[in-house]
Amino acid sequence: MAEICALIGPNGAGKTTLFNAVSGNVVADGGSIRFRGEEIAGLTPHEISARGARRTFQNGGLFPELTALENVLVGLHAQVGSGFFGLLFGRRSAAAEASATMRARELLSTMGLAHIAEQKAGALSGGQQRMVEIVRALATNPPLLLLDEPAVGLAPAARQQLTSVIRNLARTRNIGILLIEHAIELVMSVADRVIVLNDGRKVADAPPEQVRADRAVLEAYLGHA
Amino acid sequence: MLALLPQLVVSGTSTGMLYALIALSMTVVYRATTVVNFGHGDMVAAGAYAVFVFGLGFGLPFLVAMALAIALLFAAGFAAQRMLLQPIVAGPHLSLAMMALAIGYTLRGALRLQWGNETINPSRPYPQDVYLFGNVVVTTDDAVICGSVLLLLAALFLLLQVTPLGKVIQATFQSQRGAALVGINVPLFHALMWGGGAALGALGGVMLSLITPLTPDLGQWTLVQGFAAMTLGGFGSLGGAVAGGILLGITEKLLGFYVNTVFIEITGYLVPILVLMLRPQGLFGRRAVVRV
Repeated sequence: MAEICALIGPNGAGKTTLFNAVSGNVVADGGSIRFRGEEIAGLTPHEISARGARRTFQNGGLFPELTALENVLVGLHAQVGSGFFGLLFGRRSAAAEASATMRARELLSTMGLAHIAEQKAGALSGGQQRMVEIVRALATNPPLLLLDEPAVGLAPAARQQLTSVIRNLARTRNIGILLIEHAIELVMSVADRVIVLNDGRKVADAPPEQVRADRAVLEAYLGHA
Repeated sequence: MLALLPQLVVSGTSTGMLYALIALSMTVVYRATTVVNFGHGDMVAAGAYAVFVFGLGFGLPFLVAMALAIALLFAAGFAAQRMLLQPIVAGPHLSLAMMALAIGYTLRGALRLQWGNETINPSRPYPQDVYLFGNVVVTTDDAVICGSVLLLLAALFLLLQVTPLGKVIQATFQSQRGAALVGINVPLFHALMWGGGAALGALGGVMLSLITPLTPDLGQWTLVQGFAAMTLGGFGSLGGAVAGGILLGITEKLLGFYVNTVFIEITGYLVPILVLMLRPQGLFGRRAVVRV
């Protein structure tokens, strides 16, 4: 069973910067980032993605002119090892192609997105786009998923669904989750561990109920929320 | 006067197909990297000279010379991106455009060193013939150019629309951030598209050498025509590049015949001015503003 770790803290605390460093979108000035025993600081985003740490963005990570289904399929096609030359010269059986499509459809429908599979990603609502992006990221069964504020702009019902999706990924599919989230009730209900950042520093690292009880944290963050 | 209209459209289409190929090869690089390759015309010219050298210089059969020239330009485009553009890719956009321009001028300079005072008329690898359809004349050149470009377009369309690689290319055109997210090597993609654009441009150069003499400054004119076709069709649109090229070819023939022959020379300059003033997004483009 994989861990769900939430990263919270006021704006400017460095949550997104930490994400960017882990996913290779910025290069860390110093220190070390280890993923499954390997140093990944300094690797490019695609290299880190290929190693199985997949992130989502708050917005703008999808291919707007492709359908939701095609977005997920591209995620599968671009999998580890195939590369451009693999795609160009590799032989893919029609059966493999069909099974990839089936898998993508299945994933979309487990997230309640079957009805938008054929719609262009750019035409979907913000919440739907974020869900499609999550589906695309997890289609390859990555060991780690980094979710950047997945609940922003979601209606309460969709939030509920997202909560159970996240729990499910960790519990049944063993995907580790690192989550940036401002929606505190979501954090408290899904996270196994909460790390509080303030001003670039870790001020707490504990199970949610302890963090909730910590006065310093409340003052640093929750008090202003 | 009007009796000549079909003939003008046919000849214009033939030239236009050539412009379409050049505009398409520029668009591939633009879409992949969001940089307009201002050196692209010179890459087309280099392709034309390469065929000439491999063919007449080394005595290789035409098709072999053509394949070698295309491969050579692919390698040159790939290497230029890797060695000259990738190191400054995080810098200002303008630096990238200037670097592309500098690459073009360097190529042009190299051509001048060797062939500065010469005009080369490469010989056709086939006998020139004419076919009459009613009173419309179609030359072998027209047929070869139109046939080759149409075949190429069909192949590219299939590649992009049907194959998984095509989907990955389209996806990366649409969002580089998204591409990196799903594990696509975006810097390698840029280099491959520079190579691919240069290779397509080289093919354009080969076609060009069928209908026009080679001078080292050929790239200048080529860049203007390609740029005009891209602007007319809608900057960044693959289909627009093709349509814009064909329309440009026909327009310059019509204006040249019905108004003044000088228009054959200057349509390529006038079209971007008019399009940018009247319909900046071009005929098929959606985004009105692009970074250059």
